[in-house]
Amino acid sequence: MSESSDDRKWLDAHFDPVAGLYTFSSCLDLAELSGDGESQLVVGDLGSGSSGMKLKVYRGTALVSESSLLDLPAGLVAFFMDLHEPRIPAVAVASGPCVYVYKNLRPYFKFTLPGLEVNTLEQDVWQQAREGQIDPLTLKEMLEGIRKKADVPLSFCSLQFLSLDASDMDEFVQLHKQQPIRRQTVITCIGTLKKSTADEDGVSCLVIGTESSDIFVLDPEAFIILAKMSLPATPTMMDVTGQFDVEFRIMVACRDGNIYILRRESDKPKYCIELTSHPVGLVRVGKSVVVGCTDESLQGFTQKGKKLWRIVLPAPITTMASMDLPSRGFQAVLVGLANCEVQLYRDKNLLSTIKTPDVVSSICFGRYGREDGTLIMTTKGGGLMVKILKRTAAFEDRDSAPGPPLAQSIRLNVPKKTKLYVDQTLRERENGLAMHRAFQMDLSRLRLAAAKTYVKALESSLTPVSSSLSEPLKMNAVVQGLGPSFKLTLNIQNTATCRPVMNLAISFLYDESLYQMRSPYMRIPLLVPGLIYPVETFVECTSDKGISDIIKVFVLHEGRNCPLLTAHINMPVSEGLKLH
Amino acid sequence: MEVTMDPLFLAWSYFRRRKLQQCSDICAKILQDNPYDQSFAVSQCLKTRALTEMVYIDEVEVDQEGIAEMMLDESTIAQVARPGTSLRLPGTSQGGGPTPAVRPMTQSGRPITGFVRPSTQSGRPGTMEQAIKTPRTASTARPVTSASGRFIRLGTASMLTNPEGPFINLSRLNLAKYSQKPNLSRTLFEYIFHHENDVKNALDLAAQATEHAQFKDWWWKVQLGKCYYRLGLYREAEKQFRSALNHQEVVDTYLYLAKVYQRLDQPITALNLFKQGLDHFPSEVTLLTGIARIHEEMNNISSATEYYKDVLKQDNTHVEAIACIGSNHFYTDQPEIALRFYRRLLQMGVYNCQLYNNLGLCCFYAQQYDMTLSSFERALALVGNDEEQADVWYNIGHVAVGIGDLTLAYQCFKLALAFNNDHAEAYNNLAVLELRKGRIEQSKAFLQTAASLAPHMYEPHFNLSILSEKIGDLQSSYTAAQKSEDSFPEHVDTQQLLKQLRQHFSVL
Repeated sequence: MSESSDDRKWLDAHFDPVAGLYTFSSCLDLAELSGDGESQLVVGDLGSGSSGMKLKVYRGTALVSESSLLDLPAGLVAFFMDLHEPRIPAVAVASGPCVYVYKNLRPYFKFTLPGLEVNTLEQDVWQQAREGQIDPLTLKEMLEGIRKKADVPLSFCSLQFLSLDASDMDEFVQLHKQQPIRRQTVITCIGTLKKSTADEDGVSCLVIGTESSDIFVLDPEAFIILAKMSLPATPTMMDVTGQFDVEFRIMVACRDGNIYILRRESDKPKYCIELTSHPVGLVRVGKSVVVGCTDESLQGFTQKGKKLWRIVLPAPITTMASMDLPSRGFQAVLVGLANCEVQLYRDKNLLSTIKTPDVVSSICFGRYGREDGTLIMTTKGGGLMVKILKRTAAFEDRDSAPGPPLAQSIRLNVPKKTKLYVDQTLRERENGLAMHRAFQMDLSRLRLAAAKTYVKALESSLTPVSSSLSEPLKMNAVVQGLGPSFKLTLNIQNTATCRPVMNLAISFLYDESLYQMRSPYMRIPLLVPGLIYPVETFVECTSDKGISDIIKVFVLHEGRNCPLLTAHINMPVSEGLKLH
Repeated sequence: MEVTMDPLFLAWSYFRRRKLQQCSDICAKILQDNPYDQSFAVSQCLKTRALTEMVYIDEVEVDQEGIAEMMLDESTIAQVARPGTSLRLPGTSQGGGPTPAVRPMTQSGRPITGFVRPSTQSGRPGTMEQAIKTPRTASTARPVTSASGRFIRLGTASMLTNPEGPFINLSRLNLAKYSQKPNLSRTLFEYIFHHENDVKNALDLAAQATEHAQFKDWWWKVQLGKCYYRLGLYREAEKQFRSALNHQEVVDTYLYLAKVYQRLDQPITALNLFKQGLDHFPSEVTLLTGIARIHEEMNNISSATEYYKDVLKQDNTHVEAIACIGSNHFYTDQPEIALRFYRRLLQMGVYNCQLYNNLGLCCFYAQQYDMTLSSFERALALVGNDEEQADVWYNIGHVAVGIGDLTLAYQCFKLALAFNNDHAEAYNNLAVLELRKGRIEQSKAFLQTAASLAPHMYEPHFNLSILSEKIGDLQSSYTAAQKSEDSFPEHVDTQQLLKQLRQHFSVL
């Protein structure tokens, strides 16, 4: 149903499964970078995660520009930083502790976050190291001490030093002792906030969330910090509305699973939404906030943090984005799911489902090229998908309350009672007494037989499980190989709750004309309870007749003449012959 | 004076009566006494045939894929075949057969069959690791099957016999000369192929003989195909068999060709071929059995049963068909009908441990309690090896669980383990009993062992998952549940457990 209706709603404009774009929704934006009225796609590509980070620009179906990034991008936004004509936006890429601003796709400015307060003790210690008063080992000890006690955390350089081996320390100190000690934080999310006008092309400030639980608002021209707000936890996602000079509202999803709402008046959060699980997506639709959580749910809140609704999704959320079509007054939320679907929700109603060939990792909706309603998605495998919303497409709210569950109408496959069965029940009814007596007699006999065999097995320790109270052991054997060489692995486990077992040995009994064993007697180390100890040895099959035999394994205790355990290994037939 | 029989005639008579060793001895004597006689050629021929007959095995039935052939197979085309077109990936049952919760699985993910034959047990393992770990010689399915196909390992017979050297020295044989003599060449070929197991020379001989017959003799083409098949040249074998079928329609050739297709993992082609064969030989039992087996291997139990029923209509003493239908009834909740089939086997004279074992289980589940335990007692009296004994004790353990005698059940499962150390099911059940006693450490150790012994079974994983969840080790519980889901994706309890765990993880 959804398949056909989606074909009618979306046009497949472009699909490149091997575009090699690995990115998330926060690093995706649409902007008119050339000023000719054609919107382009700006992507902060994460590459392989350790190399190949790039800033890419797509126009139409083609990649028009590509420049390397120094570090992993945490976020990317396009914003207007001045009032010059033609109105061309700048691109800000947040990575590490810096914001790199590109104008006309050329590096224009680099803003670095102010350093954090450095522990004075730490500084003193490094000062001493610099003057050669202490050797690296003492340095390490002192830094360890500071790390444990001090309120201000250590700098990155010190932490790196502490993780080194003793051999590498000297070199590290030589290399780093001349540099001043700094403590730097990194950017976790970035957004834009209009400065004074609500116009589409008004000048915007950058809003930055950092690892040190701060929010900074930057001036777009001078790049000075206009406002600083602090949060109780590290922000991960944010949504900003309003104008800086008038009134604004910053919604921040944090790592402690709460969403904080900041207002212009105070530098502390005004409202707090406590979620039951971690948020993975935060989208504002009109006056309400839609949050996707790790428990596969989508929740709606008012701007003041009042919960409106909650629905359960069919799969975990991978990404979320808003779909805003001002020309039609249509606002909805796009949710990428791990089951290769993208679902469109208006409030709690599912409007449509788009099936994708791969799991979608980022979504962006907006004006691309000259088309207003364009949906851009990148997939987990690096593919790029562009779909255009048809002008005729209409979304209707479906009533999501279904009738009785489908399972009600499924018939169970219960086999019919056969005539035979009826006859047998008749027999049972008539001869119930005799049957019961016969069964009870057989049962007593069988109990006796079982007990006899069991005792015999216990006496000769035939079982691979020892039930003695002093050495509760368990063994199983695995044979690997095609032959003529086999690897024999004996997994021995002490199943006691807390007592170790000592002084054990293993020996083997086998036909010496058929097999050769590398070590027919082995000692077992102390067995700690609960762990599996693999004991390995090699068996060589010396016969070329294609026959196999049993190898018996005994676990022996020093000073006792009967084995604790016995295992019989059915050796496989050797499928290869030994070369001479 | 006693009139002595002509030794050659006596030898012939022995041969007819299948006293092959005597026949061979007399022939040897004739050959030694009068090497230049007229009877020389005849007796040589006779001895060759006697020796061949001694080690002859049915090439169509007996064929076990070696591990090297399985894993180092170069003729595999698609690693991931579409469901329903490959023997390698049985997938979910399309025939609406019982789920693994009801009918146990073999390692390859197929429901166990009612009749053990080569390739029903091992199947094709998925990974090298799994393949080299498989106990390839032992292990029967549980509940024990009613009859087992016996097979000698191919090509080892000649090494075990003949202490005084070979009867015919192949290296000194002039194959070209013999290939000209149609009377001798066939006997010689069979000798080389079956007794000496020298496929290369056999192939040479067959190639020259078929050339001599101007490529018009279907028999030689079939033999060529057999040689190619043994050498693993399946496409060449297919060509020869196809060409032989053009000359003469023979049931055997159809069976050989189907075997080639099965080896090439083309079960659909093999099925079509069998159906084509049925057009020429309507209601031929071997062809019907072949179809049923393929359906069974492709996890389509209900159509397999249909074909086995067709087989029974033609041959009402067909052990394999009776056993398979019986076990199918057993696992589809109709033990009383299964009981009928197994009793039929008993009437036919099949008298072994496995059959009594099955009878005991059927009696128990069909509520005929008076005969249950006596059947098991007989099964115990008839056991041939330790594995069978382990299986009988395992099933008695099940009965004990059924009547609530947990001490007896515990002893039985322990005994099953004593006789067969690799009995994963027994480990699993023992773990559950230990858990009931509150011995968590033991139970956990048993479940881990069961899981490592039989990674294809979902039960130990699921039980381990429940146990870990109860003691609060959610991470282990989750990994175990995932393994359980891998081996039995439709298991509802696993799904629910996973859902519950996911909820646990996502809650702050």
